[in-house]
Amino acid sequence: MPKFEPVLSRNWNDPEILSVKRYESKGGYAASRKALTTMSPDQVVDLVKASELRGRGGAGFPTGLKWSFLPKDRKETFMCVNGDESEPATFNNRYLVEKDPHQFIEGILIGCFATRASTAYVYLRFEYIKAIKILEQAIAEARAAGHLGKNIYGSGFDLEIWCHRGAGAYICGEETGLIESLEGKRGWPRIKPPFPAIEGAFRKPTVVNNIETLACVPHIVERGADWFKSMGTPKSYGPKLYTISGQVNKQVCVELPLGVTTNQLIEEHGGGVWKGRKAKAAIPGGISMGLLTKDEFDVPLDFEEIRKTGCLGLGTAAVTVLDETTRIIDYLYNTSRFFAHESCGQCTPCREGTGWLYKTIKRIRDGGGRIEDLDLMNHLANNMGITPGTTICGLADGAAWPIKNAIAKYRPELEQFIRENVNPAARIAPVQEAISAGRSPLPSNTSMFVPGIGIAKSATS
Amino acid sequence: MATIIIDGQSFELPEGAKFNAIQAAKHFGIDIPYYCWHPALSVVANCRMCEIEVGTKDPATGEIKMLPRLVPGCQTPARDGTVLVTESAKVLEHRKNIMELLLINHPLDCPVCDQAGECGLQDYSYEHGRAAHRFVEERNVKPKKEVSDLIVLNQDRCIMCTRCVRFTREIPGTAELHVMRRGDHGEIAIFPDQPVDNPLAGNVVDLCPVGALLDKDFLHNQRVWFLSKHDGVCTGCSTGCNISVEENAGKVWRHKPRHNPYVNDYWICDEGRYGYKAANSPTLLGGNYVLEGKDHHGVPTDRFVKRLNETLTTRILDKQSVLGILSPYLSVEEAFAAAQWLASLTNRVELALGPVPVRGEDLTFAPDKTKGRSGDTSFIVPRPFTISAEKAPNRAGVEMMLDHFGKGAVPFEKALESVASHPIVIVFGGSPDESWIEADQVAALRKAEVLVLFDTTINPLADVADFVAGIASFAEKSGTYVNRDRRLQRFEAALPPREGVWPLLDLIAIVSGDGKAPIRSQEILKAAARVVPGLAKVEDGLVPELGLNLDSKDQPIPDAGFQDDWTLANVSTV
Ligand SMILES: Cc1cc2nc3c(=O)[nH]c(=O)nc-3n(C[C@H](O)[C@H](O)[C@H](O)COP(=O)(O)O)c2cc1C
Ligand code: SF4
Ligand code: SF4
Repeated sequence: MPKFEPVLSRNWNDPEILSVKRYESKGGYAASRKALTTMSPDQVVDLVKASELRGRGGAGFPTGLKWSFLPKDRKETFMCVNGDESEPATFNNRYLVEKDPHQFIEGILIGCFATRASTAYVYLRFEYIKAIKILEQAIAEARAAGHLGKNIYGSGFDLEIWCHRGAGAYICGEETGLIESLEGKRGWPRIKPPFPAIEGAFRKPTVVNNIETLACVPHIVERGADWFKSMGTPKSYGPKLYTISGQVNKQVCVELPLGVTTNQLIEEHGGGVWKGRKAKAAIPGGISMGLLTKDEFDVPLDFEEIRKTGCLGLGTAAVTVLDETTRIIDYLYNTSRFFAHESCGQCTPCREGTGWLYKTIKRIRDGGGRIEDLDLMNHLANNMGITPGTTICGLADGAAWPIKNAIAKYRPELEQFIRENVNPAARIAPVQEAISAGRSPLPSNTSMFVPGIGIAKSATS
Repeated sequence: MATIIIDGQSFELPEGAKFNAIQAAKHFGIDIPYYCWHPALSVVANCRMCEIEVGTKDPATGEIKMLPRLVPGCQTPARDGTVLVTESAKVLEHRKNIMELLLINHPLDCPVCDQAGECGLQDYSYEHGRAAHRFVEERNVKPKKEVSDLIVLNQDRCIMCTRCVRFTREIPGTAELHVMRRGDHGEIAIFPDQPVDNPLAGNVVDLCPVGALLDKDFLHNQRVWFLSKHDGVCTGCSTGCNISVEENAGKVWRHKPRHNPYVNDYWICDEGRYGYKAANSPTLLGGNYVLEGKDHHGVPTDRFVKRLNETLTTRILDKQSVLGILSPYLSVEEAFAAAQWLASLTNRVELALGPVPVRGEDLTFAPDKTKGRSGDTSFIVPRPFTISAEKAPNRAGVEMMLDHFGKGAVPFEKALESVASHPIVIVFGGSPDESWIEADQVAALRKAEVLVLFDTTINPLADVADFVAGIASFAEKSGTYVNRDRRLQRFEAALPPREGVWPLLDLIAIVSGDGKAPIRSQEILKAAARVVPGLAKVEDGLVPELGLNLDSKDQPIPDAGFQDDWTLANVSTV
């Protein structure tokens, strides 16, 4: 295999790259010029299809295919760029915007040209104040330099890019939640169909793409689909930004071909597990994905292989390492608290289920757990999400997955924890326990009215 | 012809129907439970109660392909070849799960909850739930809040279906309600000092499937299972909204809307909703009175009739003429019987229309499909709702009688001018409003030598009339009204006539002395239809459930008659 040459992050060490001049001097905006002046939109779509670029936002949906779902006879199209990046431990989008904004703008330009969208909205996470400033400055410069605006490069194509800052909700990263939020509404995901390609922002055909997905596009235009497919593993091609965080010595964002292993990331880029400890597990791509046990650290981190380990997928390729001292119950406590906090609250299974799971895990962690709680949680988790078809969006799947996955992979540890950590103060109230067991909550010597029987001595059974 | 397969059985969809799976199944008698969906609101599919198994049948091969996951019925269009499975083990298990989830943070306070007896949670727990639930954690506790002077929100009972929120956005367009916070801490809320006070506000209480939004006017007054429901028509304006008049122990306790896509869709306005109070008013006339000297004396009906007839006969033998005034609050039958009786007294009779109250301008709420949430809303039929400026139920119907028996609808003001030439004035009232007549109008009428009044309330005209007969109120009579769109609609009596008072139809039969005169409104309508041209379409005195368009043929509405489960829950009465 030829030595891997980073492209997405190639300019990250150059602070001057924020200026459009510098970016142009390094060959920037050549790809967009090539696309707009020598190619037709459909040729760009075909090229991206041929590259088999898959969305980097989490779901891994083929980008060219997504673009081709737009109705042929559409009059107006919107591009929504998803920079909500709220999946815990993920920060590759932030690096892309803060460290090389023009690469990303060039990606938007080509993506919009391909989809004939003359308005693009970049939806950035609430907390990304620095990124917003850099991006707005870069957009202004790109506009002044003729890369945005009317009749770009004399091609007849117009494009304006607007930045929209979120208000701090994970759910606004879900594509239809993002669109609702962009429209000024509460970020409640919409039912599908219709998919955004048919009816999206302002009820017009809309493409939602992740920042990194679009950042790949200029390089595909410049170097071709074969170059792109020369990297990665089958069905998962191209370069990918991996972030490594958690209990490692170095928390970094690195560009590597798709399909590296967790071991490689920890050892070659993360500087090994911290404090000289051993790793216990790793989250492959944001906390909604579940856990890889240390025995699964040599599974390629790509769109396909990782699913075979029982994880939800590659997600955002944000790898978080747990060292050998970390308790699974603490990991579950954090994940379940996050999702209970972030569920938008529309769908009954997600709204109630995330809260229920969090309360149960908290009780177990406090020393009030029962073995049967694990089965109960499994049952709840198996019945929430778009996988069983019981919710509108995938947040519920992401909330359920870490729990199902941990119970499957670490049940002995969890059972041992429950047996060994008994705190009477955390136990279930006897009345609750009695009700849920179908017993009378009243003391055994009280009389109660039993329908059909009349006054009866309370049964304790 | 589109064929759909539900639980293995094939059904033909009606022509032109744009149904979702719930509507389609219901059309063929199969219930799919739901909460958040409402036939007139945008589809959000958030309660997840209506999930079923969905598939398609290949028309060529006949092969059925089912989707691997459950799908909400509300967002599933019923098309040719759609396959629905509503009772599989998977579906039933899912319903149990949803019921359990909806109840984990719901207080078990049914004994003190007004919704008990017509509650979506109670009904579905019984039909689809689990006997016990597995939740052993602390419940979330949420505050109770006032969202208007008339509506209270018990937030801890809310199931976040957002029906109320969507209603205020999509029907009146006022958007007072919204959701705040996320997850299981979400709450329905108003903005500070912006209560839900639009003219249709009360509908949010009907829409709420649980005891979260409750009407303070009704709160803790009655247990719903003690109420008897009677199909009524609102008398508040000429729209003629279809209502359910709900009564117990001799009093009407509330009005609720009944669905009629040709008239009021699923809604009523607050004025009509609280218009029930007039039925219990202490100022209703309690009998028959004769003016002697300066005072009215109550007399039993037989003596009242005797004296009235004596007076009228002498006067009429004296060749005196009669002015008859028919109020737009009379039913078609009452107006017919009254006009017929007047015409039978003498041929020197002039008929006129009573005062028609008009306030403001017509107010139309036209739902805009594009204002709702995005989604496949193809099965929603947005229908406008109008509150009419004309505040009487039956001007059109009474005018029909005036046309037939008299010289058309002589307006009230004109009639007042002609009192001088008519020594006998006979007024048929019926307005629930005691101030229906102005002092100068009373004075003008009082110029008559004999002034007879049939009315429901103690009012300024009753104070001076020579003969005053109390008659059944709007809630105590049955009959038909003709609304602004010339739709004939039937309403049933909710209460028996008050002690000492007869329905007008009975009273006219007694006064006219015809022992065989019909007193049932259906028979009178049948008789009227034989002679009054405007009523020619009425067959056998019967009126279809959704009313009868007297002028033209109705556009067929395939989803007509789909009563939302939660607007007018079917309470089994004890
Ligand atoms: C709960 C939830 C949160 C999401 N958050 C993000 C996010 O922060 N950023 C992102 O790019 N995609 C996010 N997604 C995925 C988007 O819905 C969508 O698939 C993606 O933006 C499509 O872009 P791509 O095709 O370029 O990957 C999220 C999905 C879900 C279900
Ligand atoms: S699954 Fe959860 S986060 Fe997604 S729409 Fe439903 S309630 Fe909201
Ligand atoms: S208050 Fe009632 S109608 Fe409104 S969301 Fe809650 S349950 Fe639904």
